[in-house]
Amino acid sequence: MIPIEYYLSLSAFMFIVGVVGVLTRRNAIIVFMSIELMLNSANLTLVAFSSYLGNPIGQIFVFFVMTVAAAEAAIGLAIIISLFRNKKTVNIDEINILKW
Amino acid sequence: MSQPLAYFFDSLYLIKPETSIIGFLVLILLYDLIFKKEKWLPYISLFGLVVTLFLIIEQYGYNKFAFQSSTNFGMMAIDPFGAFFKIIILLSSIIVILFSILSKELDVARDRMGEYYTLIFGMILGMFLMVSASDLILIYIAVELVSLSSFVLAGFLKNDSRSSEASLKYIIFGGVSSGIMLFGISILYGITGTTNLYEMNSLLQNFDSTNILMILTMILIFAGIGYKISAVPFHFWTPDVYEGAPVTITAYLSVASKAAGIVLLIRLIKSTFVSQKDTFGYWEMIPAFDWQGFLIIISILTMTIGNFSALWQSNVKRMLAYSSIAHAGYILAAIAVLSDQGLVGVMVYFIIYLLMNLGAFLIVIVIKNKINSEELEDYDGLGYRMPLVGVAFTIFLISLTGIPPTAGFIGKLYVFIALVDAKMLVLAVIMLLNSVVSLYYYVRILKHLYLNKPKAETTDIELSFSLKLFILVLAVPNIIFGLYFAPILEFVKTSLIILGI
Amino acid sequence: MTELIYLTVLLPLIGFLINGLFGSKIKNEKIIGTIGSGAIGLSFIVVLLILIETLGKPADQRVTIVTLFQWMKVGNLDISIAYQVDQLSILMALIVTGIGFLIHVYSIGYMHGDKGFWRFFAYLNLFIFAMMNLILADNFVLLFLGWEGVGLCSYLLIGFWYDRKFEKSTTASAAKKAFVINRIGDFGFLLGIFLIYMTFGSLNFTEVFTAANHIPVDESVVSFIALFLFIGAIGKSAQIPLFVWLPDAMAGPTPVSALIHAATMVTAGVYMVARCSIFYAMAPTIMMVVAIIGLLTAMFAATIGLVQNDIKKVLAYSTVSQLGYMFLALGVGAFTSGIFHVMTHAFFKALLFLGAGSVIHGMHHEQNIQKYGGLKKYMPVTFITFLIACIAIAGIPPFSGFFSKDEILWYSYAKGNFLFWLIGALTALITAFYMFRLLSLTFFGKERFDKHHVHPHESPKVMTVPLIILAFFSIVAGFIGIPEVFSGEGGNQIKNWLAPVFADAHSKKITYGMPSHFVEILLMVISVAGAAAAIWLARHVYLTKPGLADQIANRMKKGYSVLLNKYYVDEIYNKLIVQPIYKVSDGFLFKFTDVKIIDGTINRTASLIDLFSNNIKRIQTGVAQFYAIIMMIGIVIALFWIIVSLI
Repeated sequence: MIPIEYYLSLSAFMFIVGVVGVLTRRNAIIVFMSIELMLNSANLTLVAFSSYLGNPIGQIFVFFVMTVAAAEAAIGLAIIISLFRNKKTVNIDEINILKW
Repeated sequence: MSQPLAYFFDSLYLIKPETSIIGFLVLILLYDLIFKKEKWLPYISLFGLVVTLFLIIEQYGYNKFAFQSSTNFGMMAIDPFGAFFKIIILLSSIIVILFSILSKELDVARDRMGEYYTLIFGMILGMFLMVSASDLILIYIAVELVSLSSFVLAGFLKNDSRSSEASLKYIIFGGVSSGIMLFGISILYGITGTTNLYEMNSLLQNFDSTNILMILTMILIFAGIGYKISAVPFHFWTPDVYEGAPVTITAYLSVASKAAGIVLLIRLIKSTFVSQKDTFGYWEMIPAFDWQGFLIIISILTMTIGNFSALWQSNVKRMLAYSSIAHAGYILAAIAVLSDQGLVGVMVYFIIYLLMNLGAFLIVIVIKNKINSEELEDYDGLGYRMPLVGVAFTIFLISLTGIPPTAGFIGKLYVFIALVDAKMLVLAVIMLLNSVVSLYYYVRILKHLYLNKPKAETTDIELSFSLKLFILVLAVPNIIFGLYFAPILEFVKTSLIILGI
Repeated sequence: MTELIYLTVLLPLIGFLINGLFGSKIKNEKIIGTIGSGAIGLSFIVVLLILIETLGKPADQRVTIVTLFQWMKVGNLDISIAYQVDQLSILMALIVTGIGFLIHVYSIGYMHGDKGFWRFFAYLNLFIFAMMNLILADNFVLLFLGWEGVGLCSYLLIGFWYDRKFEKSTTASAAKKAFVINRIGDFGFLLGIFLIYMTFGSLNFTEVFTAANHIPVDESVVSFIALFLFIGAIGKSAQIPLFVWLPDAMAGPTPVSALIHAATMVTAGVYMVARCSIFYAMAPTIMMVVAIIGLLTAMFAATIGLVQNDIKKVLAYSTVSQLGYMFLALGVGAFTSGIFHVMTHAFFKALLFLGAGSVIHGMHHEQNIQKYGGLKKYMPVTFITFLIACIAIAGIPPFSGFFSKDEILWYSYAKGNFLFWLIGALTALITAFYMFRLLSLTFFGKERFDKHHVHPHESPKVMTVPLIILAFFSIVAGFIGIPEVFSGEGGNQIKNWLAPVFADAHSKKITYGMPSHFVEILLMVISVAGAAAAIWLARHVYLTKPGLADQIANRMKKGYSVLLNKYYVDEIYNKLIVQPIYKVSDGFLFKFTDVKIIDGTINRTASLIDLFSNNIKRIQTGVAQFYAIIMMIGIVIALFWIIVSLI
């Protein structure tokens, strides 16, 4: 059996990739993808712990997270489309009329 | 009937308010689909809220779990403390729906108002769950439900680029925060093997050392909650979203969703980390995480940065956004006391904050309706053109500053007393100094209203009778509760029952 | 019934709100006047019913505390809006609402046609509201609120005719003077309250007084409490050295002078000292101070009253002098007599002021008594009622003033010493003299006014009826306090009524054996004979031989001008206190401390804050990713900080 540390390392790595993606990519769609990556890293942790502890709650949780992630992605894309209609861009650093 | 099924039906009885909200959400959705008429929607919504209010009052005294599991702990805690905040959320929802009827800003979207009210009901449902949740799964879902609805509402004026921008920033920031929170939750699940807060508490009781992983998870989870209550450094979305979103939604976010976030934080601390309560109502904490030190630092940062950033704002909505950050700081200071007296401070503060903050936003809406601007320099001389608005705004701003004889003073007083009683004098003094700073920007609005000459020749602006009445309904209690606040205190003290220790 | 006491506070407040908010829109004087007087009249009826109910109860159950709501509870400090209904507060409430009602009615006539008619009634109602809080309060905080409230109303009403001239300056500056001088007294009062809270840990009357009675407290502490409270009373009740505001307060409309500056507000100091009698009983030194200040004030003000020519000024000094009597009574431990004199004085002094108002009204706002004369036939009702009041204040039996004043004189001898009695009696003679001088110059003798322009006339019914009622009470009010030497043991009704209130204080104070009845009657006869002689002398000087007064004045020029200029007290205060303070504050406090140090510091701080806030808000760059970065940094710092603090 694969030890739990492997899963956790992978998920931590995924989480960091997600965070770095959010912080560095300019394109809003890629930023959203990075956020999904963060959520999925959490999912991986939950499933790993669930199987390690022999307790089904973690797996149940994952289903809820997936649903929420789907909803979030849908809303995010809708907002990006709406913004693109107004500004003709999806680059986050160009979207800054609200500041200070 | 089998035992689990009996539990289930008992629980349905306990979540009547939530059920009622769901029912009306569906009703509004169907009505909008079938009739496509905006006219009756707000009244159906108001009716739904009033019904729910009655249901909450009816089950006010309950103090038990809904959806119990085999371990005798449940998914939701139905207690007077939760009911108190549900009432606050409902009151602010009622007021905000009334705002929405008035607001001219929403006129461009009148054909889509069905969605608007549906989303507001979605938010209310999410906040109700946040208030009652005692399980990490439910907490996460509730937070997301509130967030997702409010992302859309913030960008509701989709042809306005500011509104869309606010929405995008909100969702990116919200997505990241809730992602971080979820990661924290997943680790917490790994450490304890459960998602139930009360079960976690009984597991942690004999936990006497600090664990770095535990600290990590708490900070990560706090990122999600801190973003909801806009605590520094998770506050950055607040000014931008508040400025860009429709005023009605800004008002709503600044009161209701903040209240829900605060309750979530209190419940997390209270049901997970308290080992016992001493006779004076101070909580003895499980040493897994230094909540007090952490909250003190966060609260000082929050109030200071909120107030200082507000000083030079030229947009009133944005100024109120910073001011609401500062108020979150005061409330966090009261939570940091970690005692029942601190909670009294929080609860008193929230009732009053509801009145004064929504009042201030109402004035912003009224002025925006009349002069179509939220810029401070366009407010010049308005105090004379709209006498009632000027006087009411003065009351709200003085109340927000916390000067007697307004209600705001009482709110600050109780937080202050809690701090002094707990010998947290430094925090108390910092809070006082912050109030002094806040006086400056609140009074700056008054200066524009009364002392600055308007740029062009102007005429008096008339308000309709119902609008005047509405303004008075919010303004008069700000004075009355400043002088006679025994009923608030009474209500707060009877509501100070949190399920658990 | 007693629970309804809140109505007596609420009704004037409602009257104030109606007249204050809508008065300018109502315009109809009848409606405004009816609302204003009606509110007070109803309050009076409520108090009267409470009195009747209380009379039916046994003497030891006459104290009721009516708690409306808890106002704040902070630690030990528990302050409620609660009213203490007992013998003392009922008596005071009767005076305030009863006389207040009459004066309200009178004002409908007196203020007729004034452009601030509604404002006047709103203020008067507000005053009654504050005054009722003052006398009914069951704790020091509420008492202080009422105390400040009446001060505010006094300020507003003195400056009521803010656009008129008063003497050398304006009514506004007279109002300001009253306000500032009252502040000095209030400061002492506040210190007293703080000291009480420090000593007894409560501000509730019952708790504090019970504690003071039973727990041994250092005498010096009690002395300081008593002294500070007395300083407050000095300011409010216009005693030496803070009496200078009261004569200037005559700038207000005459009904105001009658209500606030004669019958009610100025007696608040007397009430407060009587309420706190236990402290004074425990501090004999301070009691002596009270007695001496009262005595000196009585004498001092009476002599000034001798030569004043403004009808209201004479009455003002007479008020100061009578207030001195009341403090003399309190100072020798005759608390009942002090309160008794508050009551009788309220009747005859209100009557005098209202009578003076009637004269002023009839004489087209002329106030100089040298320009009156022979008004008897023009204003018969005013004349007769005024005459009754003069007899009452002069202390001629069986009018009310005789009983209360004589009791004070008697106790100042019995419990004080002969010198107290002598000065007190002398003051009584002077009082009789200047009151009849006033009467003679106003109503008798030659008509010294310009008959072509001034046509004296009797005032309307709405003004004369209150005069008649007050005159009636000026005659009979004394009968509730017939000295025991005539009425027998326990025959003094008011003494029996108030006895429980002062029982503790009396038990604390050491009393010496009382002199015999013979001495009492002898002293009484002497003072009455003296007063009669003074009256005769006044008539002789001012009526039979006009010109005699001028001759005397010429012969004693120095003394006369000292009196006429009120012993130059105002000028002395100006030279010794106001000017130096002004110079120091301008030269040092303002130009150096304020401009350089305080402003400098504030400006520096402000610019620092400015800089700080400008930089802080720059963090908000508007780019969402930047926000996320800072948030991450925040999380990392928090984590790092907590972990480091663990190691």
